[in-house]
Amino acid sequence: MDTECRHIEALPGKKGKKDVKMNYKLKKIFTNVRVIILLVLLVLAVAAINPKPWIQGVAINNVETNSSAAEGGIQKPAPSVKPVNRERLLAIDNKPINNIEEYYNYVNQLELNQSVQIKTTKQLYRLRAKENGIGLKVLDPQKTNIKKGLDLQGGTRVLLQPEKKLSKEDLQSLIDTMQERLNVYGLSDLIIRESNDLTGNQYILVEIAGATEEDIRNLLEKEGKFEAKIANQTVFIGGKDIVFVCRSANCAGLDPNYGCSASGGQNICRFRFSISITPEAAKKQANATSNLEVIGDKASPGELYLSEPLELYLDDVKVDELSIGAELKGSTTTDIQISGSGVGISEQEAVLNTFNNMKRLQTVLITGSLPVKLNIVKIDNISPLLGKEFLSNALLLGALALVSIVVVIFARYRKLTIAIPMIFISLSEVILLLAIAALIGWNMDLAAVAGIIIAIGTGVNDQIVITDETLRGERVAYDWKQRIKNAFFIIMAAYFTIVVAMIPLLFAGAGLLKGFAITTIIGASIGVFITRPVFVRVIEILLKE
Amino acid sequence: MEEDKETSRQNTAQDTSKSTENKTTTIENNSINLIKNDEIKDKNDKNANINANIKNKISIPKIKLNFSSIKNIYENQYKKLLIIPFLILLLAFVQIGYQLASTGDFIHRDVSLKGGVTVTVPTEQEIDILALENAVSLEFPNNDVGVKSISQFGSQAGVIVEADISQDESNKLLDSIKKNIGKELNENEYSVEIVGSSLGASFFKETISALGIAFVFMAIVVFLYFRTFVPSMAVILAAFSNMVVTLAVVNILGVKISAAGIAAVLMLIGYSVDTDILLSTRLLKRKEGTEMQRVYGAISTGIVMTSTTLAAVTIGLIFTQSEVIRQIMIILFIGLFADLINTWIQNVGILRLYLEKKAKKM
Repeated sequence: MDTECRHIEALPGKKGKKDVKMNYKLKKIFTNVRVIILLVLLVLAVAAINPKPWIQGVAINNVETNSSAAEGGIQKPAPSVKPVNRERLLAIDNKPINNIEEYYNYVNQLELNQSVQIKTTKQLYRLRAKENGIGLKVLDPQKTNIKKGLDLQGGTRVLLQPEKKLSKEDLQSLIDTMQERLNVYGLSDLIIRESNDLTGNQYILVEIAGATEEDIRNLLEKEGKFEAKIANQTVFIGGKDIVFVCRSANCAGLDPNYGCSASGGQNICRFRFSISITPEAAKKQANATSNLEVIGDKASPGELYLSEPLELYLDDVKVDELSIGAELKGSTTTDIQISGSGVGISEQEAVLNTFNNMKRLQTVLITGSLPVKLNIVKIDNISPLLGKEFLSNALLLGALALVSIVVVIFARYRKLTIAIPMIFISLSEVILLLAIAALIGWNMDLAAVAGIIIAIGTGVNDQIVITDETLRGERVAYDWKQRIKNAFFIIMAAYFTIVVAMIPLLFAGAGLLKGFAITTIIGASIGVFITRPVFVRVIEILLKE
Repeated sequence: MEEDKETSRQNTAQDTSKSTENKTTTIENNSINLIKNDEIKDKNDKNANINANIKNKISIPKIKLNFSSIKNIYENQYKKLLIIPFLILLLAFVQIGYQLASTGDFIHRDVSLKGGVTVTVPTEQEIDILALENAVSLEFPNNDVGVKSISQFGSQAGVIVEADISQDESNKLLDSIKKNIGKELNENEYSVEIVGSSLGASFFKETISALGIAFVFMAIVVFLYFRTFVPSMAVILAAFSNMVVTLAVVNILGVKISAAGIAAVLMLIGYSVDTDILLSTRLLKRKEGTEMQRVYGAISTGIVMTSTTLAAVTIGLIFTQSEVIRQIMIILFIGLFADLINTWIQNVGILRLYLEKKAKKM
């Protein structure tokens, strides 16, 4: 075929004939069933990825419980909603908000009780700022439905190992408690999953965007065993004996009788919130207090206390001690006030820490303790700024790598009729792979990017094998069927070896390289079962006379 | 190449008559194919003579002559050529053995495989890597501290500090870094990765077993595919040699291997088996042309496959900012070169020996 092409080109009068031939071939390509199927799949894939490069505003990532945003009707994003469809905040008080910085600059200067108008993609909300702001956390909006992994987006990843081996059910209940605890604390957008390794170690992997390492340590590494004791006798414990924990402003917040004070270069603030305990626990408390003596100045009844305080223990460490009013002696009250404190260098910092401590304690009281102590064996805190840089770098890398492959292919075959289909097929593979990732909610991290590179690499290799087998087959007069059969014999062997080589990684090392293995396997499978047959047909049409 | 020339000159005087006979064939061969010069050892006296002689009589550029001699060696001396890959494999074993004896590990493990803390800090101004490493090391005298630079388009974009310290010391490391680069860091501006030492050790064990299992799986697939002992073993040996040689070179370069690096070795299994299967299929299952024509056919396809991958890998190596990707690319880069030798000398040699023995039996 090579020689004939040159021959046609040499005769100017036949140039038109060549064009006609090319048009005929193109028509044949675009009416081919395999090609049509691929094109339809690509359209579906793009729809699944749903790219929106010019998306505006900031994405609502979290709505704090009992915050003014929550009371105003703004809802937490449900995990099932696809990234680009999440509610976005577009403007505050008619001022457009285009990035996270603008948002925080605006809300940080809000004053107490100042009213704000928030425009989102759904509707208009009117809110009144509270002492801790409006309680909305935002992120950069996702421009596609492809979920970015932790190392491309920033966030915290923790690998925990239970101190003793758990049964399947216990592990599930542990994960449920952890999930609840993180949700109650106000962290959404998180992944918790169990993972094992080849030697049978159990791990729990938690990935959270926008949490601090300290939050995670306090919420997950601590068992969260909360006990209230009077004279060393347990009266009630967190989770089980508690029916209600108040988290709204009228019964939880800074302690109005105490507030904040400065001493020795430090500020200290106290919080309080009320809880309700079960009648059984209330009875226990009544028994424990009935034998206590009343102490204090009898002249002023408000200052009378019982001889033993109510002591609060968190994971066997005493965190606070509350004096019990004399009027509670022997009574079966179910409503109890819990208090604690937070310190900071500035008053602002002290208030913030106090609120955080309160929130953690409330979380623990609501969810009860974890069934087993967990050890943090790995904790990664990835900066969102670095993540962003890695992402743009990875995209640049992909583009340059593709260009370099085109250059080599063109240098070898000197034919656009071979180079163009190859590049088109490789790009289709990337798009289909990303679409599958978007559909199954798979997180694309750096290891997955490496997986894409491999898949493309083996894809290009396979196409070279197909091209060479067909060109070679021409010389030794194999028919097309035989040439394709020859090519696929090699391709399938390569495919099976890469797949079996990746399988152990699915199970090894706490599943941290699972993303890499899965991406490679899916990518190679798309190649062999979808795009390679298309390439074969296209090459056949283009090269066959 | 140099050696080649020298021997040829020595032999010229003794052997002039023979060489003229062969002149014509040599010139015919000139037009064919490039093969790497440095892969050659002077084992072919006859051919070397021709070179020297022709150089004296006709002034044909000497590179071309070497190609023809190389081709001749490649075609006829494949048994002796087999010494090269096996010698390299032996040296690789020696290196790995030495590494194992002197450090207790057969590779340099990085913190992800032995436990420790990694801090990544983006920077705007240039930071002296060595000075930072020395300063931080002073504060952790009992630990292994390493500082690497992240570069983009040749300029520094950040630094990575790794230390095999325990979880509790991570804040101390951060303080030390902040102090030494003279910059206050906001929590959003840097990344910290902490791996507990027991996890690191188990991670190492796990990834190595994954590698072992993957290798066995690959071997099974190859056996099921070819169903003949020698060709299957040749493919498996080539993949094995690639892994061992790559690890040895990585050790010599002093690169510390992370979990991603082990994953890259797995990738290498996939990539190296590609070309070996291509070769075995073309050489054993096809009947057209001569044996050597089929080998050259496989080479022309295989070299393009390796070149495209190498091109992409090189781009990755130059432009990436991520340590994960860089590590993968370094290992693939070295592995692909090892694969050239192990496929086109080792595997070809073994298969031709096998075919020769088979022909004799028949």
